[in-house]
Amino acid sequence: MQPRRSFLWNSGGGLGGIALASLLAKEPISSAEEPLVQNTSAGGLHHPAKAKRVVHFFMSGAASHIDLFDHKPELVKRHGQPSDFGEPVEAFQNGLGPWLKPVWDFKPYGGCGKMLSDTVAPLGDVVDDIAFVHNMVSRSGVHSAATLQQATGFLVPGFPGAGCWVSYALGSINENLPSFVVLPDHRGFGSNGVKNWDSAFLPSQHGGTIIYPGRPDPIADLFPHKAGSFITSKGERQAHELMKEFNREHAAMRSGDSRLEGRIRSYELAAKMQLAAPEALDFSTESSHAMKLYGLDRGAQEWGKEINAEEETFHFGQKCLAARRLLERGVRFVQIWSGNDNGFPRRNWDSHEDVERDHGPLAMGMARGCSAFIQDLKQRGMLEDTLILWTTEFGRMPSSQGGKGRDHNPFVFTNWLCGGGIRGGITYGESDEWGYKPRERNKPTQVYDIHATILHQLGLDHTKLTHRNNGIDRRLTDVHGSVIKELIV
Amino acid sequence: MECQIDLRALTGFVSAWLLQFAFCLACTGQDELQGDAFFRERIQPIFAAKCLACHGPKVQKSGYRLDVRSIALQGGDHGAPPIVPKDFQASLLLQYVSDRDSDLAMPPKDSQQAGLTAIEIQDLTKWIAEGAIWPESASAKIEDPMDWWSFKPMQKAALPNAEPNPIDSFVRAKLLEHNLIEAPTADARTLARRLYFDLIGLPPSSKELDTFELESKNNSEAALEKLIGKLLSMPEYGERWARHWLDVVHYGDTHGYDKDKQRPNAWPYRDYVIRAFNEDKPYSKFIEEQIAGDALWPNTRDGIEALGFIAAGPWDFIGHAEVPESKTDGKIARHLDRDDMVANTIGTFCSVTIHCAQCHQHKFDPISQQDYYQLQSVFSALDRTDRKYYPDEAMQTQWLTLERAKSDAAVALEQLEEPLRKQAGEEYVALTKRIENASKANATNPNKGAEFGYHSEITSNQDAVKWVQVDLSKVTEIYRVSLVPCYDDFNAIGAGFGFPIRFRVELSDDPSFQNGVKQLSVSGQDALIRDQKNPGLVGVSAEPAMGSSIAGRFVRVTATKLAARQNDFIFSLAELQIFDQAGVNVAVGREVTAMDSIEAPPRWRKTNLTDGIFPEPTTVDDKASLLLAREELLLKSADEATRTRRSTLLARVEEISAELKKLPAPMQVYAGGVHTGSGTFVGTGASGGKPRPIYVLARGQVTQPMSEVVPGALSAFEFRPSVFSLAQDHSESDRRVALAQWITAPENPLTWRSIANRIWQYHFGRGFVDTPNDLGHNGGLPSHPELLDWLATDFRDNGGSIKRLHRMILMSKTYRQASVSNVDGERVDSGNTLLWRQNRRRLEAEAIRDSVLFVSGSLDKTMGGPGWQDFVIEHPEHSPHYEYGLAAPEDSKTWRRSIYRFVVRSQTQPWMTSLDCADPSMRVDKRNESLSAIQALALLNNGFMLTQAKRFAARVESESSDVAEQVDIAYRLAFGTGPTEANRRQLIEFSKANGLPYLCRLLFNLNAFTFVD
Repeated sequence: MQPRRSFLWNSGGGLGGIALASLLAKEPISSAEEPLVQNTSAGGLHHPAKAKRVVHFFMSGAASHIDLFDHKPELVKRHGQPSDFGEPVEAFQNGLGPWLKPVWDFKPYGGCGKMLSDTVAPLGDVVDDIAFVHNMVSRSGVHSAATLQQATGFLVPGFPGAGCWVSYALGSINENLPSFVVLPDHRGFGSNGVKNWDSAFLPSQHGGTIIYPGRPDPIADLFPHKAGSFITSKGERQAHELMKEFNREHAAMRSGDSRLEGRIRSYELAAKMQLAAPEALDFSTESSHAMKLYGLDRGAQEWGKEINAEEETFHFGQKCLAARRLLERGVRFVQIWSGNDNGFPRRNWDSHEDVERDHGPLAMGMARGCSAFIQDLKQRGMLEDTLILWTTEFGRMPSSQGGKGRDHNPFVFTNWLCGGGIRGGITYGESDEWGYKPRERNKPTQVYDIHATILHQLGLDHTKLTHRNNGIDRRLTDVHGSVIKELIV
Repeated sequence: MECQIDLRALTGFVSAWLLQFAFCLACTGQDELQGDAFFRERIQPIFAAKCLACHGPKVQKSGYRLDVRSIALQGGDHGAPPIVPKDFQASLLLQYVSDRDSDLAMPPKDSQQAGLTAIEIQDLTKWIAEGAIWPESASAKIEDPMDWWSFKPMQKAALPNAEPNPIDSFVRAKLLEHNLIEAPTADARTLARRLYFDLIGLPPSSKELDTFELESKNNSEAALEKLIGKLLSMPEYGERWARHWLDVVHYGDTHGYDKDKQRPNAWPYRDYVIRAFNEDKPYSKFIEEQIAGDALWPNTRDGIEALGFIAAGPWDFIGHAEVPESKTDGKIARHLDRDDMVANTIGTFCSVTIHCAQCHQHKFDPISQQDYYQLQSVFSALDRTDRKYYPDEAMQTQWLTLERAKSDAAVALEQLEEPLRKQAGEEYVALTKRIENASKANATNPNKGAEFGYHSEITSNQDAVKWVQVDLSKVTEIYRVSLVPCYDDFNAIGAGFGFPIRFRVELSDDPSFQNGVKQLSVSGQDALIRDQKNPGLVGVSAEPAMGSSIAGRFVRVTATKLAARQNDFIFSLAELQIFDQAGVNVAVGREVTAMDSIEAPPRWRKTNLTDGIFPEPTTVDDKASLLLAREELLLKSADEATRTRRSTLLARVEEISAELKKLPAPMQVYAGGVHTGSGTFVGTGASGGKPRPIYVLARGQVTQPMSEVVPGALSAFEFRPSVFSLAQDHSESDRRVALAQWITAPENPLTWRSIANRIWQYHFGRGFVDTPNDLGHNGGLPSHPELLDWLATDFRDNGGSIKRLHRMILMSKTYRQASVSNVDGERVDSGNTLLWRQNRRRLEAEAIRDSVLFVSGSLDKTMGGPGWQDFVIEHPEHSPHYEYGLAAPEDSKTWRRSIYRFVVRSQTQPWMTSLDCADPSMRVDKRNESLSAIQALALLNNGFMLTQAKRFAARVESESSDVAEQVDIAYRLAFGTGPTEANRRQLIEFSKANGLPYLCRLLFNLNAFTFVD
């Protein structure tokens, strides 16, 4: 069913390759599908790649572009005046109070002079590497559908996450680690849970593997459950040897079935992952400079009950440092989440009630971690082939809700990208004077364009990376999307 | 991202420009080619070079193509004809290619393709001006989408040779064509093991294998027939095969999406499917029950439970419960909800991909947008909802009869009272409102004094923010705050007068609440983002979030959504009580400030908020007397006959209600049904289940409705009218009956092929068509089309018995082949499409799990009922977290078969998922078969596996204390056969070194445990 993957054959290999081999072996002779042309000069890709890896920051709950990145002096001027959008507006909770100026002041940063909010000031150190997109629009103003759209390209569950597609296309660089890793918010999942990153109709090894840095069990089942107190390291060596021998005998009597050998190999890789994953997550070899950079030098504390910047900095920084270590070791795609679901008290970006209370600590932790991460990658020469995307499900309204909060704004929001051949220090696409809709309403940017651009940088043509499911050649970008040339070096 | 360009403005500009060309043309006239030749030599090459890449045989952007004459002239999805013969000014095509500055320029500005040259435009203009001559012979033919195997009537071909079993006959014929031969028959033990897994999803015991082996030696046919009969009659058969069905219909026990709430009543549908397989329900009845069982068999349990099919898929709770149908996001949610129902119905039973047609004509299959919306209209009265029913047929009949009688009486009463109510006018309305309030608060006029409370100024904006606060005069430890509502008869509001709909309660040391603001939580609910029910006179508590105390000097209540008064909005409270640890109200007499206040003593003033005077919901307003008053009012204008008739009807309703009360509580199933709700999720219940109007949506956008549609099916098929002939006053269920019968029509070419192909797949690991959910153009071609048709027609003509079909397949030599490979087969057909051997299969997640439990001796075979849960739910009140890691694998409640697992959508079971378990958010026709390190870790280290390894060891130990014997017993339990001598020695050594549980874990992890030959 998947000859379309054959063009990627020489870039994937590894375990994905084994599973693929067995699938290809089952190709029906009556198949009407044509394999894609293989571009050997591009290393099996559609065209030469600029980036090898992706990091995806996702702010769950909808981060306010107006209070973080999208400077709106007009709002400061009109603060407190009744809001007037010049047209009827449908807001999620009808929160259309007076205009509300950004909660924090904005100042210029870097050579490019980009105006940033005080609450993301640490990003000022790296702003010359960042490209902002201020005219993003979402097709939904409901968290679940909008989160799915940014994460999978579709409004309904049942589609692979962006990282799954990248893993599916490019395979693993280091098969001792998963190719797509998800670092959830330490408090829990955002809307839709694992539906934002599971493999859906793609083979399951391309789904996001959840890792919790700093926990004794960072990956589910990496080590035996406590019910397995009988397990010893000597026993494990013997067991693996014996299993391999028995499985080889079993396979020898069943020639021509590559799955049997594939499964033997999967057990070898499991054993290797037991060594590779803890090593990748062990921060003890990090320099004190690095620990300080990420805000981890003081270690875990007794955090206060109220949401606070110190705690957010620690948890977000921990994920950023883990991400860098995983990327260094060959992980293709890391997704980092900030904020969990809409529980109480609020611990995500859905600031209907009080932007300052929630956005303040969350943004400070995020900005510190992202800035450290970008600086660190740069120092290590990894920024040039690591593409970073910062996103959220939609934006927030320039009007106030209940005095201090903001309602959903699916009509415009901000993304930023960095590294991996992205032009730094630029702004592409603007919102209008209020930050209510794109300045050019008929030329918004959508997630399809962002995804198309990311795939492009990875050497992939988003219209050709397909997988047939229930009669449709599915793509990450559905039937939409164009590469944004202006964002690319 | 649609282009919204004003075409008219463009037209004027371009026309002037084109005229110049036309003028030049008229002057020169140097071209000698005319008519057909001109088109072939000059025009077609332009199209070929510059247009066909996007508007040609392979791609048709906007549904437009320039290789087919009729479409080129008539236009694509966007309407207006682009080429108007003899009128080049009206020909949009010319404008597109001429104006390179336009956003609609063709070829598009951002494409690689260069624009047309001046000469090319000139030629094109000339061609159109002269009548756009395009000979039919120079036009590509449109592929007839109906010219496809699965859309044609089924044919029962003659058997190609003398093989007695038709399956062997067709398969052998095909093999011979490719110079291949069948593999030898599998040995008895291999065959039996395969049959056990295929039919019941559990391994055989070694004793059962011994018996079968022995019987096969005497008479292999008879032994096989006997074993198949035995397995098909076991209840485990239904459990195994229902799981396949639930994959296809994407069954789950939670809604999915944001918050992922549970569906406690989904399971009766799952049990229905198990029962249907075990009872070998005729397939057409199985279909009809799932779409319209309530209409066709209303008194039966199956008729209702089967409707769980319609509601099986995910549901966007927030999109329905928090966003009304009037908003765009609400419309999208409901559109997508119906889309799921339609895709599930047509995809499951007919195996075509209907949902492609929601934005445009299906690109590959003969399905129009009209067809798609006709199908949506079949389900347009429905929502996903809990349906009440009685499993007992007599009771269900009685209940339905009583309900019908009650509703008839209610209708009669309504007709009788309506004119009387009109007569009674405003007064009646006011009384009714008071009665409602009285029921809410169980009290009226409970004010204890003239001091009502605090009352804000009046505003016309419901979302205006108002606050009032109490100064405790010093920082104080606070344990609880209570907001006591007012009572005022004004506008017949009564209890809860002015109580805010949304609000927050905060604490600070700063009177301006700029710094150090701490929030109190209102009984776990987020009163700030969710509308609160009016509490009547019951005080509403706010407490520190963590259940302890917090300290502060000022307590502020901020209303963010105000209560309605008349045509305006206010915020009022009778009392703000602030309690310390000892439960003393420390607010009494403290100073009150407010954003604004109506100072109208004694009733309304700020200080009333802390005066200790507030209404208490203790005085019993005589609700009965209000009712009497209203009755009197109503009957004032009634004559004697009306009064008598009314009393009779009331007595009748009472009588029926009493009868209904005698019935036990009904069961509920989460199913497709007419929903009656409140808030934003109202459903169609209030209108008696009147279907919502459905329109064709331009490009699938809910904001762009076009023509309204009537219920129907796929118009390209002519075996039945595709628009259902329904009476003017038909009920919503008539629509579903019509669709069900369209699907089960014997002439339907899709239905019977679909199911025959699915059943075949589960026996061979691959269907004749390897895309069981798509028999259309994008699906595969069948490997054995004649055999598929033969089986499909035979199945249809013999009562749609699935068990009969199983028998025919399982008794065939084709099925009984060994799964061994050979050189010829690999060379000619490495994918084994032709079936020169049986396919070795990796067991599915459920079969592996059930086998582990079976082998360890833990399997609890209890059938049916609510699903077992192998997770702990945290935060159930808001967004439940399903924490699998917190569940105890030792909990024997989780040792039932996997089909009874409570299936969560947003947090799929990680262990099952690593083994490619079906994703309940997707319609899964075929499981993936992946191998990964994560999967190996799950099988090695998960608590379930390790717990069962220990139980397996304990079971073996209870049978023998000798290590050699233990190894033998364990191996036999796991694989049905003893180990080889060499293997036995290795295992004994391992067990001695590491213990029996370790050995048992090892056996579970061998390839032989996971693969079935």
